[in-house]
Amino acid sequence: MRAARAVFADELRRYGRSRGLWLLLLVVPIAARYLVEGSAVHIALRQHLLVMSWGAVGVTIGVVASTMLLPIGFIYLRSNVTRRRPWQVEDVSPTPRIAMVLGRFGADCVVLLGALAVATLAGCILAWRADQGPIDPARLSLAVWLIAGPSLICLVALRHLLNAVPVTRGALGDVLAFLCWFAMLAMPVTMAAAPSSFAVNLRDPGGYIRPIIGSGALFAAEFAVGGGPVLPGRVPLDVDAGLHAPGYIGARLAWLAIGLAAALVAGLINRPASMSHRRLRSRATPAWLRRPVAAPATIFPPGPARSASAAVFLSEFRLIGHGLAFPILAIAAAALGLASDYRHVGSPAALLLLVFALSVQAGRDEAPGLQRLTATMPTSPALRRAAFVVAGAAWALLMALPHAVVSASTTPLLLALATGGGAAAIAGLIAAVARSAFAPRMVLLVAWYAYFAT
Amino acid sequence: MPSLKLEAVSKRYGRKTVLGQVDWTFDAGLTLLVGPSGAGKSTLLRLIATAERPTRGTLRWDGATLPAARRTLRAQLGYAPQAVDLPEELTGREFGLHMAALKGLDHAASNGQLSYLGERLGLASDLDGRISTYSGGMRRRLVLAQALLGEPRLLALDEPTAELDAASIERVMGLIHERAQTATVIMTTHLAEGLNDAAITTLHVEDGQVRAL
Repeated sequence: MRAARAVFADELRRYGRSRGLWLLLLVVPIAARYLVEGSAVHIALRQHLLVMSWGAVGVTIGVVASTMLLPIGFIYLRSNVTRRRPWQVEDVSPTPRIAMVLGRFGADCVVLLGALAVATLAGCILAWRADQGPIDPARLSLAVWLIAGPSLICLVALRHLLNAVPVTRGALGDVLAFLCWFAMLAMPVTMAAAPSSFAVNLRDPGGYIRPIIGSGALFAAEFAVGGGPVLPGRVPLDVDAGLHAPGYIGARLAWLAIGLAAALVAGLINRPASMSHRRLRSRATPAWLRRPVAAPATIFPPGPARSASAAVFLSEFRLIGHGLAFPILAIAAAALGLASDYRHVGSPAALLLLVFALSVQAGRDEAPGLQRLTATMPTSPALRRAAFVVAGAAWALLMALPHAVVSASTTPLLLALATGGGAAAIAGLIAAVARSAFAPRMVLLVAWYAYFAT
Repeated sequence: MPSLKLEAVSKRYGRKTVLGQVDWTFDAGLTLLVGPSGAGKSTLLRLIATAERPTRGTLRWDGATLPAARRTLRAQLGYAPQAVDLPEELTGREFGLHMAALKGLDHAASNGQLSYLGERLGLASDLDGRISTYSGGMRRRLVLAQALLGEPRLLALDEPTAELDAASIERVMGLIHERAQTATVIMTTHLAEGLNDAAITTLHVEDGQVRAL
């Protein structure tokens, strides 16, 4: 316990130095303000906005925290703040690994639940300003914490589960987290027409459906979270009917228990960081892939490239398409586009490939330790970033070219230019701030899904 | 021969003065910066390599004042910092060629020079292997190789011999001495005793003050 407490305190000190934490604290209050006002994004019941009583504001805050804060919180927790560790020292430390994981789990929970506390406070201000019904901060807080508390604990547990084994510490873990988030959003559909019970409510990990629809069946409720047309006038939300529906509180406590159990499992299965480094070391370049260049007997120093910008572009282009897998997958994506509907199959396939390649190269370019060196080079960071965006667009264009030639249309090329260039610009921008490949990959995956689903 | 002139250069981090009032002209040849750890050697090298700006004072390269002449200096600079986050999944050659592109150098000729430098630095057989398979000394030599690309006229090398075995130190120092014939080479080191040579200028850095030995 002493070791877990020491790790917990150390992690909190790291978070205390993080500027990103302030942004995280603002996410829910800012998003909730728009939902409470009921502008373009809103919660609607039978196509009417809600009367913003204290309870309804609490549900709104809970919905925002249980949907938006999950991916943003995951990105924050898995980004740089606590990522860089002296693993060589940790791996030989006598401190039990489970104590380290539990200490970190506790600190992460404090951070996300702190964000929820700030959101609750902001909710009180919003409800007070809305002035709809009697002042009732207890009901507001109950709604916020019952809906979002267990979801956030589960998110932290998921983060530690994915960090526990080498195979999910990288891109695969990001994809799994992304899939879990989508599964969480989609799972309530399985609640279907069944009335409220513990088993039915367990199918809503986010916990925000029941407080909106009350104790009845899901499809009978006609509700919307996000957008859609609304009729004039507001309807009251019976918050108590949802929060005290049969089995709801039990299901929320069960999700809380699942989160705590998952954190414990993460501690038990945690594998040392040196294992992933050992795995990386063992992946030496196969001999047949090596292209040794014979050392010249006399050396003429290289002169300047014909065009410095073109040299940087070509270098970024090569490194985005680095490795054997990328060209093979690029050919497969181009072939998919050729054989099917380009907008809905070929273009998403090419974009998905680029999401991974672009985020890796952007992370490499923006690594703080490498920037110490590249910052002293004659190529400005702005030119390098521009070359990266053009190179990303160029790869997308190459993958769209076969379809454009066969269909004699420029539409696939324009689409490729927009998606490839856009994805590269987003990857470069986020990597420049986050200094890693992880944050751009998560954001681009969400954007990719939105593109794929429309 | 271009020279680098420091006029009343000082560097502070918050309230802490790391370098105070450095006046020195670095001419062609090898200059060693020696002194205890934390004395300000690496800070001085970062100022020379334009990785940081001085709090006060002026740097002149070939008579032109920085920061106006920074681009000119960077085009003629080779810098090897003490710690670099090398991209583990790339090969040494891929990394070197990317650095050559950022230096604005010709690709094919840089590839040839990398092979030559690999041979000279004892990296030849590993240049096409992934960086993740490199030892600490190999990483150090790779960072040095990228600094030497394009025959820069100003070389700023931070502890290029650290983590190297005796044979590698000999190779590295041989190459550095060669370059010092035609370029201004400034390096930090703890090996000053072994490098007694009339052609070498040695500066002692301690508590932010610089004096010639």
